[in-house]
Amino acid sequence: MTVEHFPWLTALVIFPLLAAIPIPLLPDSEGKSIRWYTLGACLAELSLILYTFANYYDLNQTGLQLVDNFAWVPQIGLNWSLAADGLSMPLVILSGLVTTLAVVASWNVTMKPRLYFSMLLLMFSAQLGVFLAQDMLMFFIMWELELVPVYLLISIWGGEKRLYAATKFILYTAIGSIFILVAALAMAFYGDNLTLNFSELAAKEYSLPMQLITYTGFLIAFGVKLPIFPFHTWLPDAHSEAPAPVSMILAGVLLKMAGYGLIRMNIEMLPDAHVYFAPVLAILGVINIVYASLAAFGQDNLKRRMAYSSVAHMGFVLIGLAAFNTLGLSGALLQMISHGLIAAVLFFLSGVAYERTHTLAMDKMGGMGKAMPVAFGMFTAGSMASLALPGMSGFVAELTVFLGFSTSDAYSTFFKAFIVILAAIGVILSPVYLLSMLRRIFFGTPGELEIPNNTSWDIKPREAFVAISLLVPIIGIGLYPKLATQTYDVKSTELANRVQNIRLAQDADHGPFYAQVLTAPELLASRLSITSIR
Amino acid sequence: MDVTSLAAQLNTGRILPELIVIATILVILAGDLIVGRTTSSRWVPYAAIGGCLAAVGALTLQWDTTNPIAFFGEFNSDTLSIAFRGIIVLSAAVTVPMSIRYVEQSGTALAEFLAILLTATLGGMFLSGADELVTIFVALETLSISSYLLTGYMKRDPRSNEAALKYLLIGAASSAIFLYGISLLYGLSGGETRLSAIAANLAANTGDSSIGLVIALVFVIAGIAFKIAAVPFHQWTPDVYEGSPTPVVAFLSVGSKAAGFALAIRLLVTTFPLVADEWRFVFTALAILSMVLGNVVALAQTSMKRMLAYSSIGQAGFMMIGLVIGTDAGYASMIFYLMVYLFMNLGGFTCVILFSLRTGTDQIGEYAGLYQKDPLLTLCLCLCLLSLGGIPPLAGFFGKLYIFWAGWQAGAYNLVLIGLITSVISIYYYIRVVKMMVVKEPQEMSESIKNYPVPRWDLPGMRPLQVSLVVAVVATSLAGVLSNPLFTLANDSVIKTPLLQSTHVAAPNGQTISAAPLLETKNPF
Repeated sequence: MTVEHFPWLTALVIFPLLAAIPIPLLPDSEGKSIRWYTLGACLAELSLILYTFANYYDLNQTGLQLVDNFAWVPQIGLNWSLAADGLSMPLVILSGLVTTLAVVASWNVTMKPRLYFSMLLLMFSAQLGVFLAQDMLMFFIMWELELVPVYLLISIWGGEKRLYAATKFILYTAIGSIFILVAALAMAFYGDNLTLNFSELAAKEYSLPMQLITYTGFLIAFGVKLPIFPFHTWLPDAHSEAPAPVSMILAGVLLKMAGYGLIRMNIEMLPDAHVYFAPVLAILGVINIVYASLAAFGQDNLKRRMAYSSVAHMGFVLIGLAAFNTLGLSGALLQMISHGLIAAVLFFLSGVAYERTHTLAMDKMGGMGKAMPVAFGMFTAGSMASLALPGMSGFVAELTVFLGFSTSDAYSTFFKAFIVILAAIGVILSPVYLLSMLRRIFFGTPGELEIPNNTSWDIKPREAFVAISLLVPIIGIGLYPKLATQTYDVKSTELANRVQNIRLAQDADHGPFYAQVLTAPELLASRLSITSIR
Repeated sequence: MDVTSLAAQLNTGRILPELIVIATILVILAGDLIVGRTTSSRWVPYAAIGGCLAAVGALTLQWDTTNPIAFFGEFNSDTLSIAFRGIIVLSAAVTVPMSIRYVEQSGTALAEFLAILLTATLGGMFLSGADELVTIFVALETLSISSYLLTGYMKRDPRSNEAALKYLLIGAASSAIFLYGISLLYGLSGGETRLSAIAANLAANTGDSSIGLVIALVFVIAGIAFKIAAVPFHQWTPDVYEGSPTPVVAFLSVGSKAAGFALAIRLLVTTFPLVADEWRFVFTALAILSMVLGNVVALAQTSMKRMLAYSSIGQAGFMMIGLVIGTDAGYASMIFYLMVYLFMNLGGFTCVILFSLRTGTDQIGEYAGLYQKDPLLTLCLCLCLLSLGGIPPLAGFFGKLYIFWAGWQAGAYNLVLIGLITSVISIYYYIRVVKMMVVKEPQEMSESIKNYPVPRWDLPGMRPLQVSLVVAVVATSLAGVLSNPLFTLANDSVIKTPLLQSTHVAAPNGQTISAAPLLETKNPF
């Protein structure tokens, strides 16, 4: 395939990487010129992203756009292949926004600034590469490229247990990504033609056992990253030990790579297996929500509590994916975007608090509301968005997921009620842990900390800028959800309809697979009623 | 018969690269004698590098040769042997500049060291092309005896002596076993020494009773496995690697290993098609053991050289996957992996040499905080180690990817899975060193780092070291992303080798694997 247009997406992926190269040569030891340089590079990249999508991206198309395709290593079928569609485009913008703000948030990093900022830029490239790759091996390369920067960022600039957390992170993710490679190779070699291209892989006719096995492989790989219970244990450690700007990116963007992977690989390429696995996803989602909410309530460390809250919120993505309708899929995508923004602002503000208090233990804090009123307000706004207050993006996203799942015609009423009620319990638990967090930090009597009587601890203009840049889209999406949904609507509708049709076709073939298990109460009831009539 | 026609009849041109290396050795020895040790040490290393590079040039000229057989079938200069000879002579060319300063600092003679190193290279090169039992054994002994000498070159260092003695004893025993194996082959085939003739006679004579052949196979495999340090024939490796001069270790881990693999392919594929299932099975077991044991034991090492020794055992395990599956892609992936392994492993050893030259130690713990004092060395060592661990976008990642890709294509799912899992384990111990160098705070610095000298490159012998470091690190960083030419080279060398193409047809009982590249697939579902 030849490229007639300027390779915009290639430029997007390569630019941060190239921008990282001159950093060791910059004349600076305090980090001042390096951070300005990095900020400039990130802003240039962000405007390049926005410019590309504003001018060359058509919102009304479902197919791939801006396709770049170059032979890279044709001997093994590896192509440098990038394209954007409704699934990737909003996430690219999200990662552009969050990374740029993370650079602003890293303004006080003075230790080894060269390494720090070049790692951030390297991560930026890898994120965009994951979201835009259209080649299985290239996706894997970009996915793995993320490993070492995150490892170093956590293990050098992290908290007290940083080495433990970083090692745990890299081992979990590296073992998880083995499954991506294995599943990718299995799919690539299946059938007559060897290909690694996403669309060609999706067009292959896989046998059902093959689909189920590769689906399981991807589910484990993405389940580690998303995370899905029981593969989540690395996340509270990594997110709480990472420095605040890195936590912003970890929670804001990296978790979404897994959600994106689930939609791209599992649903789009293996729809037959998805029909079988969807109820499992819903159950795993509910476990995520309830278990992580309860666990969050038990955390005494501010960032650990928010890390568990991330786990809980990603549960909604799983439920949305299991719904088999446009609303559910749309809700899942919206939840990914919305949580990306909310988690970023909350982790950022906890970093702001940490810079002043030098502790994350909530029982040492308390009564800080007077000393930092504006930060308190913003923290409250972020928490409200996270607990799904109407008017904030979290509310719209979770409501859409609920609506989607409860109107799904794929499951029995009993199963839907079971899932929705348990998820609703999780929604009730989120104000419990978030409001108690606010209470313990900002209200009440001061703990062991010496809190100043004036407002000298309050948020600085730079910090306020970061928080506001994240809160504005949160409220914007909350009030006018179409702002976000229009970026992916056509794609998610098309995909949801496709999967729904495949499910219906399977049902027509041999009846609903889970009918025996999940509709059992109804069958029993009807049999009882029949006997009673007799 | 005059000399020209004799040379034409022997097809002497095919060993031109080896002749160049021999000439270089003679020039070095004679020059050293004539001008004296101090004067010669100034130009001798450059003569050695020049000779090696000229040999590489001569090899490239022979790429598309029509008549590869020389010396009436003693030597086969097909593309496969050219690829391996290239790898071996290149590894020598990179080893020479890194050894200059090391040898000078230890106060031993440089010219003799280089002469022995080049003799070892010569042995390896002949071994890669040897097509006849006597030549194979002579070449193998040339390589081995030179290796023993190199191992014990630091004659005042007791550890070097210990390493040489161990290597000599185990090596001599394994040579004897190998010799016994090939003598059995000689007898079984009715007195043939050429590999293809042996194969033909064996096929005609043995029939069903192949017990003698199996015994010969076992003895031959023992000899080869010793050379490539496959578990359980690896016991010598850690001690020899720890005690030997580091440049020698670098050469042994790449050049000598490549020669072993070349021997393995040629001897096993040509001579043992009758027992192909058996030798594939044995090498599968060796591969699994090497990957698991090499990578797991490396976790526990505290000495950098020992860790690299175990890691090289694990890496050999990965390469054996390509040998076992026996497809075109399998052999090509092995050659490709050897090519990138050459750069990343030699780059790693160059960094280790540099560090030990400046601090005098090889302990991993002593690397703590190196980033504060020498960011450049840290960066280079990090890149090489991460590449060995298979982190993209470095060259090692693409090497592993190709091996696993080929393994999956050939249906060796279990081997690939074990390879993947053990490569995650390997990431752990490589990144442990990275962590040691980069993550440690200034107050956690080791004693050696606290006394770390200001990096100076103007000492005699340091410039070449720097050059070889830069070459290795640049190649490691870029050979992955720009790997297309190397892939083509590796594939070409396999496809153009008649030996590997004919065996696909000759291999018995359902072992037939299509010669058509790439698209042939098998799938379990």
